[in-house]
Amino acid sequence: MSYAELHAHSAFSFLDGASSPDELAIRAAELGYEAMALTDHDGLWGSMEFAKACESQGVRPITGAEVTVLAPGSPPPPHSPARRESCPPGAFHVTLLVEDAAGYSNLCRLLTAAHSGTRERPQEPVQPTVTLGELVRHSEGLVCLSGCARDGALAGRIARGEHDLAARLGRRLAGAFGPDHFRVELQRPFWRGDRVRNRRLAELAETLGVPCVATGNVHAHDRRRVALQDALVTVRLGGTLESTEPDRRGNGISAMVDPRRQATRFAEHPEAVAETVRLAERLRFDLNRDLGYAYPGSEDGSADRRLAEACRARFGERFDTSPHRAEAERRLTEELRVIGKLGLSGFFLLHRDLLELARDVAFEVRGPDSARALLPPGRGRGSSVSSIVCYLTGLSHVDPIEAGLFLGRFLNDEITEAPDIDLDFPRDVRERLIPRIHERYGPERSALVAAFPTYRAKGAVRDFGKALGLPPGEIERVARSISPYVSYEPDTRTGREAEDARSSRDGGSDPIDPENGINAEISEAIGPQRASSARWVALARLMEEAYGLPRHPSQHPGGMVLSTRPLTELCPVVPAAMEGRQIAQWDKDSCADAGFLKIDLLGLGMLSAVERAVTEIGRVRGERIDLSRVPLDDEEVFRRIRAAETTGVFQIESRAQMQMLPRSRPENIEDLTVQVALVRPGPIQGGAVHPYLERKRALREDPGYVVPYEHPSLEPILADTLGAIVFQDQVIQVAMALAGFSAGEAEGLRRAMSRKRSDAALRGYRGRFVEGAVAEGVEREVAERVFDQIKGFSGFGFPKSHAAAFGLLAYQSTWLRVHYGPEFLCALLNEQPMGFYPPDALVHEAQRRGIEVRAVEVNESAVECRVEPDASPPTPASERDAADPGLSVRIGLGFVKGLAAADAEAVVSERDLHGPYADLADLASRSGVSRDGLERLAWSGACAAIGTEPGEAGRPGEAGDPRRVPLWRLGVARGSQRTRDGEQLALPLPVPPAPALAEQTPWERITADYAASGISLAQHPLELLRPDLREGTVTCADLERIADGSSLHVAGLLVARQRPATARGVMFLLIEDETGVANVIVLPPVYERHRLVVRTAPLITIAGRLERREGVINVVAAGVERLERPDAPLAEVRSIEPDARRETGTIHADLDAVLPAAHSFGRRGH
Amino acid sequence: MSEPLYAPRPAHVRLEGGRPAAVNGRRVEFVREEWLVEDRWWSTGPLRRHYLELVIEGGRCIVVYRDLAGGGWSEQR
Repeated sequence: MSYAELHAHSAFSFLDGASSPDELAIRAAELGYEAMALTDHDGLWGSMEFAKACESQGVRPITGAEVTVLAPGSPPPPHSPARRESCPPGAFHVTLLVEDAAGYSNLCRLLTAAHSGTRERPQEPVQPTVTLGELVRHSEGLVCLSGCARDGALAGRIARGEHDLAARLGRRLAGAFGPDHFRVELQRPFWRGDRVRNRRLAELAETLGVPCVATGNVHAHDRRRVALQDALVTVRLGGTLESTEPDRRGNGISAMVDPRRQATRFAEHPEAVAETVRLAERLRFDLNRDLGYAYPGSEDGSADRRLAEACRARFGERFDTSPHRAEAERRLTEELRVIGKLGLSGFFLLHRDLLELARDVAFEVRGPDSARALLPPGRGRGSSVSSIVCYLTGLSHVDPIEAGLFLGRFLNDEITEAPDIDLDFPRDVRERLIPRIHERYGPERSALVAAFPTYRAKGAVRDFGKALGLPPGEIERVARSISPYVSYEPDTRTGREAEDARSSRDGGSDPIDPENGINAEISEAIGPQRASSARWVALARLMEEAYGLPRHPSQHPGGMVLSTRPLTELCPVVPAAMEGRQIAQWDKDSCADAGFLKIDLLGLGMLSAVERAVTEIGRVRGERIDLSRVPLDDEEVFRRIRAAETTGVFQIESRAQMQMLPRSRPENIEDLTVQVALVRPGPIQGGAVHPYLERKRALREDPGYVVPYEHPSLEPILADTLGAIVFQDQVIQVAMALAGFSAGEAEGLRRAMSRKRSDAALRGYRGRFVEGAVAEGVEREVAERVFDQIKGFSGFGFPKSHAAAFGLLAYQSTWLRVHYGPEFLCALLNEQPMGFYPPDALVHEAQRRGIEVRAVEVNESAVECRVEPDASPPTPASERDAADPGLSVRIGLGFVKGLAAADAEAVVSERDLHGPYADLADLASRSGVSRDGLERLAWSGACAAIGTEPGEAGRPGEAGDPRRVPLWRLGVARGSQRTRDGEQLALPLPVPPAPALAEQTPWERITADYAASGISLAQHPLELLRPDLREGTVTCADLERIADGSSLHVAGLLVARQRPATARGVMFLLIEDETGVANVIVLPPVYERHRLVVRTAPLITIAGRLERREGVINVVAAGVERLERPDAPLAEVRSIEPDARRETGTIHADLDAVLPAAHSFGRRGH
Repeated sequence: MSEPLYAPRPAHVRLEGGRPAAVNGRRVEFVREEWLVEDRWWSTGPLRRHYLELVIEGGRCIVVYRDLAGGGWSEQR
């Protein structure tokens, strides 16, 4: 070994390093490094990922961090600094490297201290720093290098000519760490003055009696990334690349080079190079091995007995009358044996403990009398649902014996990590539960898991476009039209998952298609001439390089880690942006690699919506619904599911699901379990969908049809899914049955498939699989074919248990939709954002089903949407017609855009106390709503009933315009005003009648509807456009009656678009007109021709051909055009966010800007 | 026409073993410092320069650079 790298930054230095830890580790191996340290700024965010990557590459990882230290006497860094310097004024950097476990704990404590108090003002974070005193107190087990060339403790001072200060600080640090643990750091960034500085540093080292050590201060794994590093620094500092020149590195020297070349850069200091090797030899702490973690409860000797007692106590109640009692008994004994052997009883008891805590919290949140009180506090998802222990301890609500769930994926004799238990909670319960867990286990022993949002295409355009000094208007045009990096990417992807996608480019899901690359899209948005300019070309390159890199740390939606030892000794813990929460610096993969006990408390929007619906049903109809007792064989529910009337329900509402439902024709809850799992990248890529659908059809047509299996041993495993591999756990079972794998080996195969850079590992498994199968007497060809199916399946699939839990919720939500339509719609609207459809589309669909939706109204609306009876007094429940229950949904004041929550609440509470508002003056004086709030209410139409009078506006007997008249009159009535002494309520002075004001045109009304609330109740834009559409343009409803293969034109509002990575460039659109919705398929050549329109136009017209397959209708587009509003003024001042204070009454919002944005499928999770 | 104060001027540099031995006919005593500027990669005029601070005969310091993109040496004050 000639040189070891002891100072390197990854992208986890956030807007400084330009490579992932993986890339650094792989490059280190390629260049022949034997050891390498990762020393990100003030954090260990990427350290576990780096350690794992190094392990797989045969490079020895060294853990460390570049820590920012406040010089004695310096003031703490300010809140919300305008520029985020890499080192705030008065601070310096030191490079800390871990020698042993004590040193690691000290580094974690130091980093925790550095971040504490940085989020006291959540919007104005402070840069993390430690004091010199803290550094000195936690020096044991750490090696301190004196820091980088620019901001290092010694180099920075020497560069500024502060030699005495440097010497004094050097003595302090050398004294604190001791001569064995302090080194003077030499760097050679190839800046002017390097040689002089390093000579002075070497002289100082001699005076201090410590060696020098050379470091490379790596910021990129490859020279290609240097431009990105420049751009990231510019994004961090604000401004443009030109303006940040003095703060950037200025050349490509910070990219990794091979050890020999790095050594030659320090030709004048050979001892400093040799010292890198000596230090690296000493620094033996390895995160892969030396962490030492125990979960709470693991030390409890009585845990096995207590867990068994807890299960037995519930066993009789659950299984005494069950036909599966004997099997359940066997399963329980086996599970308890495995759990005991693995020492995991405490883990299960801990989860039960958490669930008890959740029960208390749920009771507090819901109240004792609520209809929701009947519901469990949360429910399990994921593989834990397959466990009978989880079922008996209340962690799961699915009987695993009855549902035929396989345990192996969750728990087997060979697992090396604690299994995952995921619990779904309604959002409100979860919000309260998280701080309660911090209270119960102590802030030192519990933290949320980190998540690392990666660069997205839009954000990258905006960030780098600004850094490149490109015109803001052009940046916005490109940002709005650019395709996402990966269209199926879920919102919660962590850096590592994005990395998985990046490494799976070979698998046919190339996120950046070279043929239709970023350049082409930019060219389309701003024209080829502009796009070919140097800066735009640079932007395209930066975007490609930034793909998949973490941009900033964030919190995982619900993952928590708990520990017996203070967590702050195991991983730095930092305050989250949300008050009362803190996050560990590792994401869920790193926590899993560390073996941390991780619990996922997930907020599930649909669970909240279902609870809201149950509450509303209780309030309106007086019925108490116990969802756990809803019959699972309601034929009406399945009839609607088969007809794909599933808008708004859980999971099976997506376009892909709706396209499949009429073909798969689910008839029971088991079919629904398969259905939920089928539309996933795994089964789709594994080729499971068509065989399943075909065999299902064959069985329907001929009950005697014999399902073909690749091998007889697969029949019991794949019987439920008709021979196709649909569930993740089937992969494990197939490997065990066909190739004789042990449970642990099979789980290893499943993990290899879902991990990054899995090709090499998978090749290894292929050999073992095929040979194993041949040894079991399977033909080689069959074995290879089955393995290919498994490989295609990859990691993107649901375990059956997860699908069962989700399938049940899909059924329950459909049941509510079918039997309690108004309440279900109301719940969905109140739980937004969630699901696949924007509120406007949900409302229109409900209206088409005959549900009346009423506009927002100051004397009727609550803050949220609510269900109200059509007539007063309401029809008694016993006399209600199920088809027409006499109930409507009233839009809540909360939907008025820009109306402050306090104003909405004030309108309602005053009305509840003292009765309805008589007129505008009454509203203004009694409610105390601000002037801005009153204007927004008036513009939304909420004051129509009290703001206009017959005979007003100069027309006897006619009320004036429902928006313009109240708005005009409000200009006279003063709203309450904020004064120095508090709120000055308006006087209830009479308001004069309005002069003759022109009524809004229909287009103006629709535009105002969308601008004010995002929902248009009265008219659909297509209704207005229809007279001007090309002759013969059909409606969405017409499609039902048109023959297969017919050519046609159809137009609509674009509701959703999806371009899944599994669909090879095909884009799916959902358009809506005044009669219904239609599915449109845009094939790649058509997409390429019309990309800008498809991606940006809210209203489109399609020329295409009708395709009808097994009851599913699609329009295959041949051309797509933007629909223009016929009476659009030739020129207008566009005010996207009208400032009501200045533009009252003349709000002209552009329709394009206010129409609800089409949802991109898959990017908004449930 | 005026010229920027620090405008580079073409220089004739003789190399020995890859290192400058003479600049515009004056012998190079030793290399005092060298540094690298790689910038403006986003513009139509990207910079890639290897700078050397040289002590030439007579003890004077001069700064020369080699244009790594286009080749050629220049002297810059």
